[in-house]
Amino acid sequence: MNRPASLFRATGKQRREILLPLLVGMLLLTGWHAAVRMSGSDIFPTPLEVLHGLVELAQRGLLLKYIVASLFRVSWGFSLAVVIGVPLGLVLGWFRPAFAALNPFIQILRPISPIAWIPVAILWFGVKDTAPIFLIFLASVFPIAVSSMSAVQNMQQVYLRAAQNFGLRGLPLFRRVILPAALPQIITGIRIALGVAWLVVVAAEMIAVNSGLGYLIIDARNAGKRYDLVVAGMVMIGFIGLILDLLVRRLEKFDEVRWGYGQR
Amino acid sequence: MGKSLTVWGALWLVLLTGLHGFLNLNWFRGATTGSGGGSAKFGVGFLPVTCHLTCPVTDYINRSTSGEGFYEPMRFNGWPELKEMFLGRPQDMPAAFILAPMAIALREQGVKLKIVYLGHRDGSALMVHKDSGIFLTSDLRGKTVAVPGRYANQRLIIYRELKKAGLTFDDIKLVEMPPPDMPAALFSRAVDAIISGEPFMGQTELDGYGRVLWQAKDVWPGFISCVLAVREDAIRDHRAEIQRLVNGIARSGKWIDQSMEHRMDAAEFVAKGYYNQNPRLLRFVLSKPPDRVTYSRLVPLRAEFEEIQRLAQEAGILAGTVKFEDYVDDSFAAEANAQVALDFEVKK
Repeated sequence: MNRPASLFRATGKQRREILLPLLVGMLLLTGWHAAVRMSGSDIFPTPLEVLHGLVELAQRGLLLKYIVASLFRVSWGFSLAVVIGVPLGLVLGWFRPAFAALNPFIQILRPISPIAWIPVAILWFGVKDTAPIFLIFLASVFPIAVSSMSAVQNMQQVYLRAAQNFGLRGLPLFRRVILPAALPQIITGIRIALGVAWLVVVAAEMIAVNSGLGYLIIDARNAGKRYDLVVAGMVMIGFIGLILDLLVRRLEKFDEVRWGYGQR
Repeated sequence: MGKSLTVWGALWLVLLTGLHGFLNLNWFRGATTGSGGGSAKFGVGFLPVTCHLTCPVTDYINRSTSGEGFYEPMRFNGWPELKEMFLGRPQDMPAAFILAPMAIALREQGVKLKIVYLGHRDGSALMVHKDSGIFLTSDLRGKTVAVPGRYANQRLIIYRELKKAGLTFDDIKLVEMPPPDMPAALFSRAVDAIISGEPFMGQTELDGYGRVLWQAKDVWPGFISCVLAVREDAIRDHRAEIQRLVNGIARSGKWIDQSMEHRMDAAEFVAKGYYNQNPRLLRFVLSKPPDRVTYSRLVPLRAEFEEIQRLAQEAGILAGTVKFEDYVDDSFAAEANAQVALDFEVKK
């Protein structure tokens, strides 16, 4: 990330990448503020009130606690989804009988919203951290498994034939040809899944956990007229989502992955 | 790429787990904080509403006087989650404050539970927008009224009042809505009237856009909305603990009703330590008027429950397949009711 000081030394393109979003952000904030003022609502907060809400949370030490709690749950749920989803997808993509047997069930489970799983999560796991982790896992495992599966299925036949001509089979074939060939698409799936995992944090924390950004939003609804904290929670979720996405995008810079993307 | 990613990923997980444990789970602070439920403390479910006020008050006073509470107050944000925990994990949470008709409905559906004590009396109000033309119950004809849920007693009190005014449920539009969302719905006039437990009704008054059409205490004196329900297994196996809990609820209820000073103290420590609400809001609903919600007469009585059941059957909410003795165990109430108020003053 560029610091303001380096802005002067930045190229025109870099400057554009910083200034344009800043400008749009300012416009959005002004529009938001004006809309609240014009509607005369004293329930919906202005941007400044949200900022005050955030400062209050930070001063009470809650902001850090809640961010850590949400990141903890998302990291574990998402990691479990990667550890289980990628191998599962690879296996299903490679072995046709396994695909035939399991794919219908994956497609049945996939569209069920994590919110629908909340009662089940409470019945199975109670209201400790395991329940939200389970929900986040569920939300992210299917996009990962499906993208890994189709990555193997859509692999270019020429790689396989070449490998077979060199006499590769079994585990070496898998490790040296199939996995690298599928990796760019798997990473795309992982990136989408991380977005989904972070997206469901509010729903997952509707369960009676007592920390987290999702909990902050639900708790603020209980707290009377604290919609500034509701919006503060939304803003924090948005910003952390952006940072997580930037981090995962770095994965696409690795040589093992970069070859798979177009050049534009 | 693979190896370094795995290492970084593992480090990230370890770091976050440690931080989460330190910041949110009270790890690394010795065993005295009672984290992780290592001791045999049982959970009691509640929502941040005044109907359940005795739950945090008992816990707070226990912690203040003996250093530790004997149960774990478990705060939920909505009825469905509380009910699911109560049904699905009775080993962790064998007792909960729930809506009286919901307790009866669960019993009808075969859940082995008993109502052992009431949570409060009164403490509900039907609110309309201050600029609306609704001044009588009969003005509600054709209007949209929000209630907390199918099994809320607030639904029955509306049914009862409509009946007095010569109306039925068919004359109004009922919608179910979580109580925390009700004030905003009334403010934006998405609904014409709202009713739930406090403090959400008082909030609309305090913020200047809600007007009381009627208080529960004025139209149905002694109105019961929430009760303390306990799983039968716990009653059988842990009688002494349950008696201690009911005694605690009874004693703290009497303590709250003892003086306005106690009410204001309770508003302060409950708002800050348990409900995470503005203390001003709780101070308002606990004092304006002082009998808006009361906590002294909490013994479950047959006649009152039979009236609830009769109304609920008429309104089509309950089937009527269980009797008072099936869903109430009043054997704890006599001893609890004989207790005196807790002896406790907040240090100023």
